[in-house]
Order: sequence, then C-alpha cells, then structure tokens
Amino acid sequence: MSENISRRDFLKLATVGAATSAVLTGCGPSSRYIKREPYMEMPEYTYNGLSTYYATTCRECAAGCGLVVRTMQGRAIKVEGNASNPVNLGKTCARGQATLHGLYNPDRVENPLKHARGTSIEIRIDESVTWDDAIQVVADALKNNDPSEIGFLMGMAPDHLFDLVSDLAASIGAPAPLRYGALSMFEARATLIKASENLFGQAALPFFDIANADLVLSFGANFLETWLSPVAYTRGFAKMRRGNPKRRGHFIQFESRISQTAAKADEWIPLLPGTEGLVALAIGRLAAEAKGGAIPKAFADVNPREVASMSDVSMEKLEHIAQLVAEAESAIAIPGGSALGLNNGLQAAQAVLALNALVDNFGKPGGVSLSPLAPNEDEYHRPASAQEMNEFVGKMKSGGVKVLFVHGVNPIFELPASLGFADALASVPQVISFATFPDETALQADYIFPDHHGLESWGYQRSATGVSQSVLSGAQPAVSPNYDTRATADVLLAAAQMAGGKFAEALPFKDEVEFIQSKLVNLIGEADGFFSAPEINTFSAYFQQHGGWWKKSSELVAASASSALDKSLQVEAAEFAGEGEYFFLPFVAPTLGEAGANKPWLQELPDPTTTVMWNTWVEMNPETAHHEGIENDDVIKIVSEAGEVEAPVYLYPAIRPDTVAMPFGQGHTAYGRYAAGRGVNPANLLGSHFNEAGDLTFAGMKVKIEKTARKQILSRLESRIGVYNEGLEEH
Amino acid sequence: MVRKFFEWVMSPMGRIAVLITALSLFSLAAYGIYQTQQPPEQPIEFTHKLHVGLGVQCLYCHPGALRGPSPGLPTQTKCWGCHQQIAKTFESEKLAVLVEYVQNNKPIEWVPVAQVPDFVHFTHRPHIAAGLNCENCHGDMTQVEIAENPQVLNMGWCLKCHRSKAAGDPEKLVKLIDCGTCHY
Amino acid sequence: MGIDLNLVGAKGAIAEEAEGKWGMVIDQDICTGCQACVAACAMENNLPFVGEEDAAYGRTMHWIRVERFWEGAYPEIKATPFQPMLCQQCGHAPCEPVCPVFATPHSEAEQINLQVYNRCVGTRYCANNCPYQVRSFNWRDYHTQPFHANDVDGQLVFPFHNQFNPDVTVRRRGVMEKCTFCIQRIHTAQDKAKSEGREVEDGEFTTACAQACPANAITFGRMDDHESLVSQLAHQKHGVKHLEELNTLPRITYLKEG
Repeated sequence: MSENISRRDFLKLATVGAATSAVLTGCGPSSRYIKREPYMEMPEYTYNGLSTYYATTCRECAAGCGLVVRTMQGRAIKVEGNASNPVNLGKTCARGQATLHGLYNPDRVENPLKHARGTSIEIRIDESVTWDDAIQVVADALKNNDPSEIGFLMGMAPDHLFDLVSDLAASIGAPAPLRYGALSMFEARATLIKASENLFGQAALPFFDIANADLVLSFGANFLETWLSPVAYTRGFAKMRRGNPKRRGHFIQFESRISQTAAKADEWIPLLPGTEGLVALAIGRLAAEAKGGAIPKAFADVNPREVASMSDVSMEKLEHIAQLVAEAESAIAIPGGSALGLNNGLQAAQAVLALNALVDNFGKPGGVSLSPLAPNEDEYHRPASAQEMNEFVGKMKSGGVKVLFVHGVNPIFELPASLGFADALASVPQVISFATFPDETALQADYIFPDHHGLESWGYQRSATGVSQSVLSGAQPAVSPNYDTRATADVLLAAAQMAGGKFAEALPFKDEVEFIQSKLVNLIGEADGFFSAPEINTFSAYFQQHGGWWKKSSELVAASASSALDKSLQVEAAEFAGEGEYFFLPFVAPTLGEAGANKPWLQELPDPTTTVMWNTWVEMNPETAHHEGIENDDVIKIVSEAGEVEAPVYLYPAIRPDTVAMPFGQGHTAYGRYAAGRGVNPANLLGSHFNEAGDLTFAGMKVKIEKTARKQILSRLESRIGVYNEGLEEH
Repeated sequence: MVRKFFEWVMSPMGRIAVLITALSLFSLAAYGIYQTQQPPEQPIEFTHKLHVGLGVQCLYCHPGALRGPSPGLPTQTKCWGCHQQIAKTFESEKLAVLVEYVQNNKPIEWVPVAQVPDFVHFTHRPHIAAGLNCENCHGDMTQVEIAENPQVLNMGWCLKCHRSKAAGDPEKLVKLIDCGTCHY
Repeated sequence: MGIDLNLVGAKGAIAEEAEGKWGMVIDQDICTGCQACVAACAMENNLPFVGEEDAAYGRTMHWIRVERFWEGAYPEIKATPFQPMLCQQCGHAPCEPVCPVFATPHSEAEQINLQVYNRCVGTRYCANNCPYQVRSFNWRDYHTQPFHANDVDGQLVFPFHNQFNPDVTVRRRGVMEKCTFCIQRIHTAQDKAKSEGREVEDGEFTTACAQACPANAITFGRMDDHESLVSQLAHQKHGVKHLEELNTLPRITYLKEG
C-alpha cells in the first residue's frame, strides 16, 4: 500500500485489530451457546444460587458419623461433618469426604435387573424388570420358602434396615440377619467383645478414653486409621496431646510394622507376632512389682525374662514400659486388630484389658468403660464373626439356604476365599442382591434390585462406639435418587404386604418413613435428649433437621472389673498356619477402607506411610529384600496354605525383617472401572482358622516368597529416589 | 519460484490482490464477531418490553439478584401463576408454546444472554447493595424485545465502573481492582 | 514495599508484612496423616484425579499433600511427624516475578498469592521456582477423559461433573493451579458479613482442609487480628516456618512437638 506506513506501524495496527477481535469474540452470548433449565417448581426452602444443606449420616463405615451435605440445585457438591453429632463433632475422614464419588459414580446399578450369574452387568444382556415385578419376586421368595431356609446377609452398620429385617425374621421364624464386613474381621471385634464379656460380664464394645489418658499402650489397635470409630478416636488422640498444657501424653504402639497409627507413637515396639498377650502380662507383672505391694493373681504366673527372650522385646524395654505404667497418672491399654486376630487373641485381649484393671482406670477419665447402648437398643448386637459366617457358608453348601438376600456387604470379596462363599452360592437356588454398585457378589446374584446410595436414603443408624453418649444418627436424602433405584426397606415392606398373612402382620407399614417413625416414637418421652418434642411429626422434623437424636450426658458404664485380676491369666503360644518363613500381616488400607476402591479420589490418596496410590504393594524390610535379591517394584509371589497372589514390593524400612505386610482394599474383579482388575486381595491368602471368640486368625499366617522376573512400577507420591537413596545408585 | 511470487506481490496488481484478500478476511472476521454479539434464539419468544412495560419488577422473576450470586430464571409456576388467569394465553399462537411446556411438565431451555466466561465469578448482591439498578448494566428492558445485551460485558467495561465507583476510597479501590475479587 | 533486608528475621520489625492477612497454623504433632484434608480439598476445589500412570509420572493434582520422612534405621527407626504441605501464600513469593503474563499476582486485598486461570499460558516457570513444590499443572483435560464417561444415546455423560463446586473454576489443560486458601469461601463469608453490615468473625468459616481435619490440626484465620485463634497459636514458642531462610515469608506456621 502506501510507502508512508512503516512495517512496525503496520504490525502494531494488525495486532491491535487482532487483539480487539479476540477480546470481543469471547464475550458474546452466541460465542458460548449454553442452555439453562430453571426449576419447574422451586422447592420452598431453595433460593437461586444459594446452597441448601441437609443433615444425614455417612455410610462409608459403621462408625455412624453425622454429615451435613451441601447441595446446589439438586446436586450434592460437598460433604462436611455435622458439628453437633457427638461422634464426629463436625469432622470427616477421607472416606466420608469421597462419598460423593460413590453417589456420582459412573458405574452404579441404575435399575432393577434380572441377572445372569457370573456375567458382568450389561443392560442389554440383563433384563430390566419393573419394580412391581421386583417386589413380586421378593414376595414370592419370602412366601414360597420355609422361613428357616431364608438367609439375610447385611453390612456392619446397625441401621434401620437391620431392625426391619430383624423384626421380619423374628416374626416369621427365619434366622436373624447376619451383619458382616471386612472391617469387623480385621478389627477382631468378636474377640474384643468376648474379652469384655469375660472380664466385665457384659458383651459390649469398650470405650477407650484416650483423650484424658497420659499413657497409651496400644496392642495392634489402629485407632487413627479405620479401627472402630476413627474420627472420634483421632479427636481423642489430639486431645491427649494438646488438651492439657502441662502434659503431652506418651503413646506406645506394639505392632510388627509402623502403621499410620504407630507413626504417631512415641515408641514403636516391633514385637514378635503372637506375643502381644505375653508382653502385656510381663508389663503387668513388672508394673505391679514397680508399684510395690502384692502381685495380682492375673500376673502371677508370667516370667518376664522368658517373655523378653520370646518376644524380641528386651528386658530393659519391658522394665522401662512397666515403669511408665507404674508412674502414669492415667494409663490405658488398648487391645485390637493384629494382636487379636490370632489363635491366642482372646487371651491376649484379656491380658491387655487386665492391665487396665491393674492401673484401676475402669470408669475413670482416661480409662476403659463400656460404651452406652444406643437409643432404642435393648442390648448390643455385634456383627457376625468369621466363624459364624463360616457356619452360614456351611449351611449354604448343604442346601440349607434356599433364598439369600444380600445388602451392604460383598462377601465374595470381604471374606477369605478359603471359606468358599463363592462356591457355596452355587447351592443356593435364588440369590437376590440389593447392591448399589456392581460388586462381585451382585454379579453372582439372580436379581439385582439396587438400593439408593446412602446420600439418597432415609434411615437411622446406631453409633455403637467411640462416643460416651447414647447416639442415634439420622439419615435423609440430600438429593433425589439419580437412577431408578428404590430403598430396600420400601421393597421389603411392599413385598411383605404383597405376600400377605404373617408377613404383612410382621411389617404393617406403608413405607420406610412410617417404619422409621414407628421406631422413633419410643424416644419421645426419653429424658436427657438434646431435643424433645410432644409428638412424632415434630420429633421427626427435628430429627431430620439436626441429623439424629442423642442424649446430652455421658452414659459410660463403669465396668465392674474387680474380678479381672483375680484369676491367673495364661496366654498360650500363638500358632501360625502355613510353612513359610515370613509372618504375613494384612491390614486395612487406611485411605480405601473396606469398600473404597471404586472411588477414584480415594485411589489417588497416597497411603500415609508408603505414599503409594492406585495399587497393592507388599511391604518388605530392605535388609530382607537385599538378602533375597529383591528390589523396589519387583513383583513377587506370596504363597500361603490357602492360595497365592502376586504383587510388587515396596521396600519398607519400618517392618520386622521376618514379616511382610499387604494392604486390603484392592484386588476387585468387579465393582466398577476404577476398582476392577487393580491390585490383589490379601484375603485370598487367609486360611479358615478361627480363634476362641470366632474371629479369623488373619494375623496368624506364615507365607513363602517366590521371585518372578517381572517388575511393576508403583505410583508413589514420594520421590522415587527412595528411603535409602537406592534410586540414586548408578546402574 | 518464491522470488517470482514475491515480485508479483510487490507489483501493482499484486498489491491490489493483497488488499482484496485482506479486506475480505477482515469482513469475514467482522461478520463473525457481529454474529457472536447477536442475541440467540429462545425457546419461547418472551418479550421483556411487554412485561416490564406492564409494570412487572425485575426482582419478581429474578429474585436471586438481591441475596446472592445468581438472579435465576423464573420457574414455570411463576409464569403460569399469571398466565393461567389471562384469556389470551389460550388464544394466542405465541403463547401456545408456553402452554405446551407447562401441560407436559417440560423444562424450558432458556439460552442465557448476559453471560460472562466461567473463570469470572460475578455475584449480583454487592452490586445491587451498592445502589446499582438492573438497567445500569442490562439496559432499559422496556425497549428490549428478545433478551439481548445493550453493550459487551467485557472486563474493560466492568473495570471502568469499578474504578469510578471506588474513586477516593483507596481500600475499596484495592478490593475492586484486585484480580482475585473476580478471578479465582 | 521498601523492606529493610537488614531486618529480615527480626520478627518485630517486619512482623506486619510477614504475617499478612490470612494465615494458617498446622500442628504437626497431632496430624495423623489420615488424608482427610487432601480428600476435602479435592472435593471442594474440583480437583481432577489423574489415574495410575500419570500419578507415577508425578502429575497428581494434589493441592495439599502429607509428607512423611524417616529417621534412623530398623529397629531404631521413626517416622518424622506428618507434614501437610500446601501453598504457603508467601509474602515474597518466588512464583510471582517469573510469570511472563502476570497470571499469579499477589492480591493486595487478601494478601495471598492468586492464580488467575484465564491469564495462564502454561509456561510452568512458577512451579519450577516454587521451593515448596506445591503447584500442579494440568497436563491433560483430566475431567473430560472419555474413560470417566458413560455413553448415553451416543453422548458422553460424566456423572462426576455433578459434584463440581460452582464457586470454583473448572480448569482445562495447559493451566497451572495451586491452593487458594479457599478464596471462594473467603469471598462468600465476606459478602455475607457485608450484607449483614458487620465484619467476618473469627471461626465463622474456614478452609475445606481445616474443616475436615478430625484432629483439628489445621487452623485458619486472620493473622492480622491478634485475638484470632490462628494468631494466638502461631505465636507459640514452638512454631516454625518451613524454608524460612529463603525469605519467602510463608503464611503458614507449623507447630512441632512441645
């Protein structure tokens, strides 16, 4: 064009022009065409652009923490703790936070199905059925079978559905429902409760007042991870450290590996697996000696020097701990987990509880009490032990179960394969699953009638542990159901009405809410409730608004344990099944829990002690690994008497050289795209051995290790250079 | 080859060719930009001019503006509240669309017009609390048939007002021109 | 700003600038490493999960992570106290001056380090400069990977998108992100207080991580208010700031044992 415009000016003009058009294009209504659908009819209490909050209960484990769910325009977007619920006081754990990844999981069962056992769930292969058909199927199953041959398997939470099924079973003469979960196996709950019963005369879950203790001895109890009520006990632990400016408390963990809980301990005692009970007795004996006075009968027959030589804990260490016990203002000893999952677990639990008797802390601040019964509870019903589940499997195998209803539990995954649950299903003519997700057990069912997700459900749940008050946590839908699912309680109620006769009489309620209210009505006149109401409708409204009902005062029962020290306590040597040279310690993955594998954000949470994500690993002491010629990420085969699995190795510096450990939570073969085909299930290595209380001796296996030629890189958050700079070495 | 082409471009013919190309590209761009600023088609030809002209207040249909970030769109029950009492609803052709939506319980898919990109977090409440009227930004709705923007809602336009409103108050100015006030 | 470098470290002289407006105290003695803060932050801020392979490449998007180190060797081995590490919102942030497009300015109003997603062009110089390594880069469009979708009548439907927090921008690939001290919650609380004609009270709101923590290890609030809980906790004897010698003036005080 004209020679008067220089190149620089031209460029300036051009860029200004281009910039202007770029700015303008981004801001027009047609440059970003979206559609907005307003409500057709706005709910009364909703305001445009502002969130509505609903109080409900978390269903990710059986602790029963209260939640407040933030919803925006009918979508649940964030979960927070309910500040007034005594269990969690406004806090949540990682699994509670990730519950939304269950609600909005792309792999949910979306409608009732007639299913072909053993196949994956495909809507095209499976036949969708209507809910009326589904209810007919359930009604027929109830009516056409002898009540003694009907089986109910449910999850660990003692909730309204458990009450409904218990009432139904009791009325028609069917066996009571069995509640089970992998957590109850790894917590060895039956052992803890049996020990309680033996010592205190009451089969209740003890309450450990860690908050007010100044010395905590934990024998395998992972109370900062998933044990019993982790949010409540974490709060207790924090209170122990910071609640009293004059003392920080001293925490000693007895375990064969540094778990997340042990990582917070002031002292970690890597004792020989199986000797926990003996060590407790030895400490008791030495503490009694240090205090002066007579040695109680309980500790009379133990020889601390023998124990020191047997347990890998030096005499100096035992004496040091005993001295701490003798001098502590409020010492507490907690039995749990790997200490109890052994053939001598019951004796070990009693020995540890006896230590509490020695320091006379029963019913005192910083000591052991019995958890109060929840509202509406006549006595504590514990989940089934592994042995009881084994008996049930035997009943299935012998054809004694003609129809099996499964809700809230995935036995094929959560029970050791050696119990043979999967094979036993072949002898059950009809299996009906109420699973929300397509898990392994649902895939072996004949019908899947999906329950709502916990955040879409009504209900209540008793908080059995971790609190000093009697708590009934309430649930209400935070969102409308996303899919064509239906509350299992509603399905059973409708089926009972359809079946008529004694079934209809057993459950004369038109829907779930009416059933729940029939149970809540007993609470109306109860004293000391944190709210009261004159009649059921007002009571229900408050129940929903606050997320439950609980008593204001502490109702811890001081156990009478005067007799705890009067008998000589024996702990026999632990027996280990299998011929390998390594002790095998499976532990519940602290971030995944028992059922978290289908939630991708839980998979992406690094394990607190190894920082591994998205897979299973085997923890092996670096010295042992060096000796065996095994490096990080080498895949090894672990062989037990019950089976074998392969997993990559993580050189873990804080584990006994004779022990290997593996997290439980992965190894699914179904359960959605994020869980299936990922990792291995350590339960497949566990044999069917039970201790006196009926718990599986999950910590009582010995395994062999075989190298494979393969490597599988683990995803770690920490540096790949590794703990001892192994990754820095030249190759 | 390249040299020959370059020589041709520098010749008068070539320069005219370049000019024509540049002009046509420019007009294409201008047309494109013009198109993005056109108000989109709505599922119902709702006319603000008529309704605001009849005296309906902005906050009657868009109440959220007073209290929070988003003013919202009226629900069908809000429209139907008046329209079920008006005879014309069942006689007019244009309103037959509304009747169909309401009777079949279908949600109306409005196309929002006063949009900002989703990396901008705009909230109505403080603007109304500062004394602004709806027409200050959205224009005089008694003149507007199908919803459209009176001017481009871009950052320069927002900042112009933010600066002038905060003149003389340094603390307010800092808040109003801070990147994090809107972009987070 | 005219900071007298000779007075660096003298808490009295530059205490005001060093403390800033919003601050945090993390008590490492009671942090149990449970990752509740990590999960809460992820849910609140629409963080994408990247899957196993990208996680192995170090491309996870954690805005807060819990660090754990070891001391000693078996059997005299100890885990160091768990250390939640997040953006320290430095007063002298090393990430700010290196951005070629000024996408990470220092907010004068809130006195934290901002990340403006629409300005970011993805140079990644800021992440390179951060001594705490707390910045994450969106290497892919993680949220819209087809693996996470269901095919419904030929359309890809992403159920996880229902969970997105509308107060937080959803980031696409090519953009840097980091902890924002839940600025969306700061703004919501300030707006609410303003609408009621009052100041924001201490404890009226908090960040997602602090709200979730079962041990109450994280405390958040106004550092310039000497009555606030976070201010009182921060001035205890055993508070330390990480990498303090780099003079980044971090806003987070870590409490060790004692």
